[in-house]
Amino acid sequence: MEANNRNIKNEIQEKLQDEVLRGALSRFAEAYPISRAKAYENVADIEALREQVRQMKMSAVADIENLADKFEAEAAKRGAKVFRAKDGNALKEYLINLCKEKNVKRIVKSKSMASEEIHLNHDLETAGLHVKETDLGEWIISLAGHKPSHMVMPAIHLNREQVAGYFSKELKQEIPTDIPFMVQAARQALRGEFLEADMGISGANFGIAENGAIGLVTNEGNARLVTTLPRVHVVIIGYEKLIPTIKDAAPILRTLPRNATGQLMTSYMTMTSGVTPVMVKQDGKWVEQDKELHIILFDNGRLQAAHDDKFKEIYQCVRCASCLNVCPVYTIVGGHVYGHIYAGGIGAILTAFLNSMGDFEKINELCIGCRKCVEICPGKIDIPHLIEELRAKAVKEHGLPFGVKAVVENVLSNRKVFHTLLRLAAIGQKPFQSGRVIRHLPLFLAGMAKDRSLPAVADVPFRDRVSKVTRKINQPVKKIAFFSGCNIDFIFPETGESVYKVLQDLNMEVVFPEEQSCCGKPVLGMGDRETAKRIAKKNIEAFEATGADAILSACPTCAETWHQTYIELFEDEPAWKARAEKIGHKVCEFTSFVAKEYQKAGRLVKTAGNVKVTYHDSCHMKRGLGIYTEPRQLLEAANGYELVEMKDCDKCCGMAGAFGVKYTELSMPILKQKITNIKASAAEIVAVACPACMMQIQGGLDKQLPNVKIKHVAEILAENIKE
Amino acid sequence: MKKVSENWTHALTSGTCSASLFPEFETRAKNAAAEVFRVKTAAEAKEVIANLVKYTNARKVVAVDSPLQQAAGINATLTDLGVSLYTEQADIAEHAESADIGISAVEFGIAESGSVCQDALAFESRLVSMLPPLHIVFMNSNRIVPGITEAMETIAKVYDRGYISFITGPSRTADIERVLTIGVHGPSRFVIIAVDEEVNGGKQ
Ligand code: SF4
Ligand code: SF4
Repeated sequence: MEANNRNIKNEIQEKLQDEVLRGALSRFAEAYPISRAKAYENVADIEALREQVRQMKMSAVADIENLADKFEAEAAKRGAKVFRAKDGNALKEYLINLCKEKNVKRIVKSKSMASEEIHLNHDLETAGLHVKETDLGEWIISLAGHKPSHMVMPAIHLNREQVAGYFSKELKQEIPTDIPFMVQAARQALRGEFLEADMGISGANFGIAENGAIGLVTNEGNARLVTTLPRVHVVIIGYEKLIPTIKDAAPILRTLPRNATGQLMTSYMTMTSGVTPVMVKQDGKWVEQDKELHIILFDNGRLQAAHDDKFKEIYQCVRCASCLNVCPVYTIVGGHVYGHIYAGGIGAILTAFLNSMGDFEKINELCIGCRKCVEICPGKIDIPHLIEELRAKAVKEHGLPFGVKAVVENVLSNRKVFHTLLRLAAIGQKPFQSGRVIRHLPLFLAGMAKDRSLPAVADVPFRDRVSKVTRKINQPVKKIAFFSGCNIDFIFPETGESVYKVLQDLNMEVVFPEEQSCCGKPVLGMGDRETAKRIAKKNIEAFEATGADAILSACPTCAETWHQTYIELFEDEPAWKARAEKIGHKVCEFTSFVAKEYQKAGRLVKTAGNVKVTYHDSCHMKRGLGIYTEPRQLLEAANGYELVEMKDCDKCCGMAGAFGVKYTELSMPILKQKITNIKASAAEIVAVACPACMMQIQGGLDKQLPNVKIKHVAEILAENIKE
Repeated sequence: MKKVSENWTHALTSGTCSASLFPEFETRAKNAAAEVFRVKTAAEAKEVIANLVKYTNARKVVAVDSPLQQAAGINATLTDLGVSLYTEQADIAEHAESADIGISAVEFGIAESGSVCQDALAFESRLVSMLPPLHIVFMNSNRIVPGITEAMETIAKVYDRGYISFITGPSRTADIERVLTIGVHGPSRFVIIAVDEEVNGGKQ
C-alpha cells in the first residue's frame, strides 16, 4: 500500500502551514463540544447510555463467529447473497465478477469507509466501470483526488473556494462560491447518476444478526437513493458492525448522531433486510421486480482483532469520529497526517489492524495520552491505552530504535546511572543538553524548544534536600512515604519541599526512600514493557520497606502509574501483581489527600483574597484520576487568593512526556492556546497539581506572558503555613 | 401497496405510544427543520395541502395512498386545484423525478428526536419521499412513542424483512465548511400533517 518511508515531520510542517485547514479545525474544535452537549440535553443518563453501547458491543464481539453465521443465514433466508471477503483482493474480485455477470456499467456509492480502506473505486474504474461517490463530502474529495481527512466530514480540510474550483472543473462551467448554489449543482449532477446506475454500493452502520438487516444513517439521503434506485444493491459491512437484535440498534442510534454531528437523529435512518422491490423500465414500461442484494462481510484484519483479548475493544467503535473532534493533536494537524484512511487516535489503531503495523508505527506518537477522547467516546474505548499496547507490541516485535534503546536499557533502568547523569546535567547544563544522550531522555529534558524556555535541572535535587526539610514529628498521626517522581526530584525540588512542609504541618511523619526511581511511565510510553517492569519492581520493594500508612505523590501521572499501570504490567506475574495491588491501594495523590485532611481539621473554608489564581487541570489528574474539585477547594481556602476559571481549563497543555519534546512543532500551538486562555482569565498565578504541566506552562509563560507565575498547589499551601 | 407489516396499529397501541407526547415530538421535529401542522380531523388537512400547493406553485404531485389520505379526500382536493396527480405505481415511477410534491403516510413519530417512521417497503413510497423537492407525510398525532428505544421495540414486534426509514426533517449536508445546507439529494422541505382523529382500517 502506501510507501512506508514517509517523513512525518515534513508532513506535519506542511499541515501546520495550511491556513485553510488550521482555520477550519480550530473553529470546529470550538463549536463541537457545545453542539454535542446540546444534543445530549434530553438524555437523562449519558454515562448509562455509553455503558449500554459498550456492553452491547462487548457481548457482540465475544460471540462474533456465531453472530456472523446467524447474520449470514438470516440474510440468505431473505434472499440476499452473502459473501465473506477475507481481504481487499477477495472483495474486489467478487465485486468485479458480479458486475460482469449482471451487466453492470454504472455504479453509485454511498459512504463506505471499508471501501476506501482498500481503494475500491480505483480498481473498479480500472475494470472499466463508471463509479460515483454520492455523499457530497466524498464526491468533493474524489474530485480533488484526496483521501478523507475526517471520518464524518471527509472534506473538512477544504474551503468553499477550493470546492468551487473542483466543481467548476468537473461540471465544465464556472461555479460560484455560494454554498447553497454548490449544493444544488451537486444535486443536479448526481441525480442523473442515481437514475442511471445499475448498481448501488453502500456501507452499513450496523448489521442485525436476528434478521439479516443492515442499518444506515445519513443526512443527505444519498444512501436511501443508493439502496432504492439501482437494480443491484451491494452492501460492504465490516464484522465490527454486527449486533444481535433490532433492539440493540437503539443505543447506537441514540449516540452516533449526537456524537457525530450534534444531532438527535440524522435526516434518514434506513433499515433494510432481504430483497426489496425495485422498478425498472422494460420496453418503455415500468415493471416491478426483486432487487438483487449482495452483502459482503468484510474481514481484512477485523477478525484477528476480535480474537485479541485487548484489541477486541475496537469493536466498541461506532465510527462517530468524535474522538477526532476533541483530540488536541488531530485538531491541529487534521486527518491526512495519520496516513491511511482512518484518522485520529482510533484511526492509528484501526490502521494497525486494517493496514499494517508498519503504518501504525509511523504515526504512533501522535497521541499525547490526554484522554479527552476516552471521556467522549460512545463505546468508551480507551484509545490512549490501546495505542500504548500497540507500541509495546511494536517494541516486542523489533525493539526500540537504536539510541533510544541504549538510553532506556543502560540509563533509565539503572537508577544510579540515571541519577548520576541528571546530576551531571545540573553541572554542565548547556553542553549536555545538546548531547545525544539527553536528547533521547524521554522525560522533561532536551534542548530543542524554540518558543519555550527549558527548565534547568536543579542544582541540588530533592533527594539531597530531604534531610534539611525533614522535621522530627512527635507522635505523628500518620507515616507518609513520599514518591517524588523525576520532575520534582530533579527539576522542581522546591515543590517537594512544599509537600514536606504541608504534610509535617498536619503532624505527619514523612520519609523518602532513597531507592526510588522514575515511575517508569515514560519508558512504557515508548513501548518498553520489560524495562518498565524492572523499574516498577525496584519501586515497589523500596516502598514496601517503609511500612508507611500512605504513599504520596504530587504528580498525577506517577500516582496513576502506581494505581493502575503497575498492576496491569504484572498480568502474568501473579505474585508481583498481588504486591502491586496491595501497595497501589496506599498511593494517594497529594491535593486530594490534603483536601480530605484539611476538611477534617476544618481548614477547608473559603477565604477572600485579591490575588487571582486560575487552575489548570492536568489530563492525568482530571481524566486519569478523576480529581478536579479538591485542588480548587484548596485554592479557594488559601489565604490571599481568589480562584478564577479559565476557558478550556481541562485541555491538554501539550507536554505529554516525550511528545512535547519530540514534536515541539505540535506541542507549541497547543501550549499557545493554553497561554491565551490564561491571559484571558486575567489571573496573576496559574496553579497546577502536575509538575510536567508546570514545566510546559512555565516555559510558555516565560516567553509569552512573563508577568504570570506558575505554582504547584503544594507551594500555595506551603506559603500559608507559618514556620 | 406493499408493506413491511399490516399490524402497526396493534404494535403501537399495545406499547408506550401516546398523544400526550405530541408537543415534545412537534418541538423536536421543528428543531430538525420539519414543518408540522396539527389538525383535528382528516378533513381539515385538505386546507393545509391546498395552501402548500398554492404557495409552492406545484403542478405535479405524486402520492401513495393511505387510509388517512382517503379520509381526508386529498386526491379530490388536488384534482380540484388542477394539479396533475399520480397515485399508481407505474405512474409514480415515471413522474416522481419531475414532480413538485410527494405525499405519503408514516406509521408513528418519535418524541425524543422528532423523527417519523415510514414503512417503506413499497418502492413507490420511497420515490415520493425522496425525489420531489417537497415531501408531505400524514400521521396520527396519537401515534408517538417516547424514544428511539421504544421505536426499535415497536419495530421489533412487526418487522421481519423489508425497508423501514426514520425521517427527521429535510435532507441536509454540512460538508462544505460545515455550513448547514438544506436539500441535497432528498427534499428540501419536509412537512408533517398530524391528524388527531383516529382513522383506522385499510383501503376500501
Ligand atoms: S488521548 Fe488525547 S491525544 Fe490521544 S487520541 Fe485521545 S484525544 Fe488524541
Ligand atoms: S473510537 Fe469512539 S469516539 Fe472514536 S469514532 Fe469510534 S466510537 Fe467514535
